[in-house]
Parts: sequence; structure tokens; C-alpha cells
Amino acid sequence: MKRILALLALGVLAPMIQGAIGTFIPLQYCPDLGLLLVVGLGLCWRSTAGGVLLAAALGLIADLLSGSLFGQHMLMRIFSFGAARVCSRQLNLRGAMPRMTFVVALTVVTALGTGALTSFFGVGRGVDGEMLRDMVPHALINGVFAPVGVWLVEWISSWLSEVDAGYQVLQLRTRNRLS
Amino acid sequence: MAEFRNRTPVTALVVGLVAFAVVAMVVDRRSAPGGPERELSGWTGAILDIAAPVQKMIAFPFDLTQNAWRHYVSLLEASDTNAGLRARLTALEEENLQLREALIASGRLARIAEIRADFEVPMLPSELVGVDPSPWFRSALIDRGREQGVRSGMPVISEQGLVGLVTATSTHAAKAMLLLDRQSAVDGIIQRSRSRGIARGRGTSDLEFEFVVRGSDVRIGDVVISSGLGGVYPKGIRIGKVVSVSDPGSGLMQTATLVPAVDFGRLEQVFVMLRRGPTMEMLYPNEQQDGLGAIASEGSAP
Repeated sequence: MKRILALLALGVLAPMIQGAIGTFIPLQYCPDLGLLLVVGLGLCWRSTAGGVLLAAALGLIADLLSGSLFGQHMLMRIFSFGAARVCSRQLNLRGAMPRMTFVVALTVVTALGTGALTSFFGVGRGVDGEMLRDMVPHALINGVFAPVGVWLVEWISSWLSEVDAGYQVLQLRTRNRLS
Repeated sequence: MAEFRNRTPVTALVVGLVAFAVVAMVVDRRSAPGGPERELSGWTGAILDIAAPVQKMIAFPFDLTQNAWRHYVSLLEASDTNAGLRARLTALEEENLQLREALIASGRLARIAEIRADFEVPMLPSELVGVDPSPWFRSALIDRGREQGVRSGMPVISEQGLVGLVTATSTHAAKAMLLLDRQSAVDGIIQRSRSRGIARGRGTSDLEFEFVVRGSDVRIGDVVISSGLGGVYPKGIRIGKVVSVSDPGSGLMQTATLVPAVDFGRLEQVFVMLRRGPTMEMLYPNEQQDGLGAIASEGSAP
């Protein structure tokens, strides 16, 4: 429970931090902290159902603070979680380099998805040259920060598991081999 | 809890969440700014309310550094700038005097004084505390909400020109779509030639101006102002300046690129116009009955 709450708190803070930093640095040069958290969830979180619920919640929070359609980030986060989950089972995403490559590709795919959804619902321009131009630095920055994001989720997950376990009585039954 | 987790089929959960997201998008698409769905309350409003002070706190060290740089390091250039500004002020004062004389001479000053009341709208100063967390959208969070009379559908301006439109509000904060957003479109006119067009956001730092009539009279340096025809933004607010004009060739549409009048990179203070345009009022007439309606009708023309 503590792990879920900690990640939710981080998920609430992530878009707020990004929004504050975005007033000084163009957002295409900032890492997408929400996406990195979701990738971390996809790679490290034990329960798929719990992970997808958390990813959806993180997307919903981003939707509230963003100018997107309500549900747009949520859909993209669910997709990102699913992609990370499936790819981690089919490919070797244990090292820093494979994770960075995966996040670069995922950023491009989610950006294209966001543009396509915006165009599909007729609320704005779809994918165009400007978007593609901004996508490149954003994907690279996300790739650079990918190992940090995954490490953070791993760390929260393992640290709070230990904290939770500290309150439980561990009972072990031993057998005497000599008898 | 563990039993629930084991029993829940993941596929059904994913399908349910995806369906929820799609329905949410469809509902959001159908609700115009100013609709009841845009007035956030409960936990959704609470997140927006929390975001404003948190973002202010996070931005504080950055603000401090930036201000120190602007105030102390830029002082080196202050003397030159001061001399230049004094010269410009003198020239402008002279020009202003001449223009006033011309207006009085033509008898238009009295008429201007009469119609001035039409443009007097109560303005609420507000601070921009954060921008959109996604690089694909251009919106901003401001630190004034419903309690201060802000409602979605109200225009946001700065001393430089048009900033955008309030799209969602909570008790103490509001979300505004900036002109630069890919979803933004404002009906505008070229101030010099009165050629009409639509200024659209491109998600970048500039705007695209699509002319209604092909072959319109436009030159580089022309100022574009809001026409008021969309019924959302009032007439006469500066949108931007033409920096390039595309050759329509055999294409259907003639377009120009505008640099916005507002420097969005340095935007800190904005003003919310506490009166919605006629389109918004026609869509949601009942909203006039609350406190906001009282504030808005005070500033409106009889």
C-alpha cells in the first residue's frame, strides 16, 4: 500500500514539477517524468493489474493539469505501461542502453499517438513538421533519463517492501537433517 | 486485497480503463469551454488547487536566479537603455500630442469617449504559475479561480496582447489554453488593410494566419488584431505581427506567419477579462445568475 501511495504522490508531483520547470526551459528539452515513471512500472512492478491502474491514475492526473482532452494522457499511459510490460517479456531490457533505446522509441510512438488522437477528435492539428521537429530532442532527453526513472521506481518498490515487511513476523520452520 | 488482485482479469481491467478514457475524451470534446464539465470540483479541482502553490514553490529558486540575473547583471546595460528610452519617450510624447490635436480637430475625441464604456471590462490580475506538463500542448496554470470570479470561456490578456482563453477552473486556480496551442484559433484582421483571417496555434513559438480571401493585402510588419467575430475574444486586442507571407501559388489558402505580440517565454503576469464573449453567454445563459454574472454585467455595455 505504501508503494502505491508513494508512486501516486510522485505521479501527482511529476507533472507539477514539469509545469514549473517548463516556465524556464522549453518542454521539449525536459524529460517526461510521468512517462518515465510508467515505463518503470511496466518494467519492475510485480502486479500487472495494480500497475495498469497506477499508470491510468498517473495519466488522469496529467490530464487534469494539461490542455489535452480528458483521458488522452490516460490512454497513452495505459499503452506505455502495456508496451513496457510486453517488451520486457520479449526483449532483454535489463541494461541502461536497451532501456534508453526503448524509451526513445516509446516517446516517439506516444507523441504520434497523441497527435493522431488530437486530429481524430478534431480539436487541433495532427502530426506535422513542427511536432516531428520537437519530438527528436524530447525523445533523446527522455532516453537519457530513462535509467534514472526506472531506478527510482525499482528503489521505491524495494525500499517500501522492506519497510512493509518489517512489521510482519517471519516464521521459519527448520528441519534437523541429522535426525 | 490479494484475493481481489488475483481474481481480477487483467484484460477486462485494461479494456474497461481504455473504454473509460475514450468515453472521457468524447465527453470532453463535446463540452465547450464554459460548460459545467469544465468547472472542476471535488478531487479534480483539489489537484488543480494544490498544483498552483506547489508550482510556485518549485519555481521559486528558478525565479530568484532569473531575477538576480535580470536585475544585477543586466544593470550593466541599464544606462544605455535608459538614454535610449528617454529619447523614445520624448519622440512619443511629441507624436501623442500631435495625434490628440488631430483627433480634437476632427471631432472624434468625443465619440471615442462615448464608446469607451463598451470596452471597459473588469480585469483580474493573475500570476502564471506553471505551464502544460506535456510538450504537445500549450496551456498555463494561473493562480486565480472560481472564488475570484474566473470562469472557463473568459479571455486572458497581458499588457502586450492576447494570451488565450480559460478552459477549466477550480476554486483557487484556472487552466488557460494559450494562443500557441494546436487547438487554438482566433478570428483576426490585419489592422492596416482590414483583411480577415484566422490565427491558429502551431504548438511552436509562432502562429499561422490563414486568410479568408485569397490574395489579401498583407505586408511583412503588419499588425494583426482580434476581430471579435468569433464571439469569444473582444475586438481590437493585439495578436501578433506578420513576419513572413507565403505565396499561395495554385493553393487554395493564403497564409502568413505571425510572431505573437505576447512574449510567452517571459510571461509572468496576466489579466483575466471577467466577461465572456457573446458566444459563450449564448451557450450557457444560466451562468449569469451567479456571482460571476453580477460582476460581468457590471462591466458590460447597457
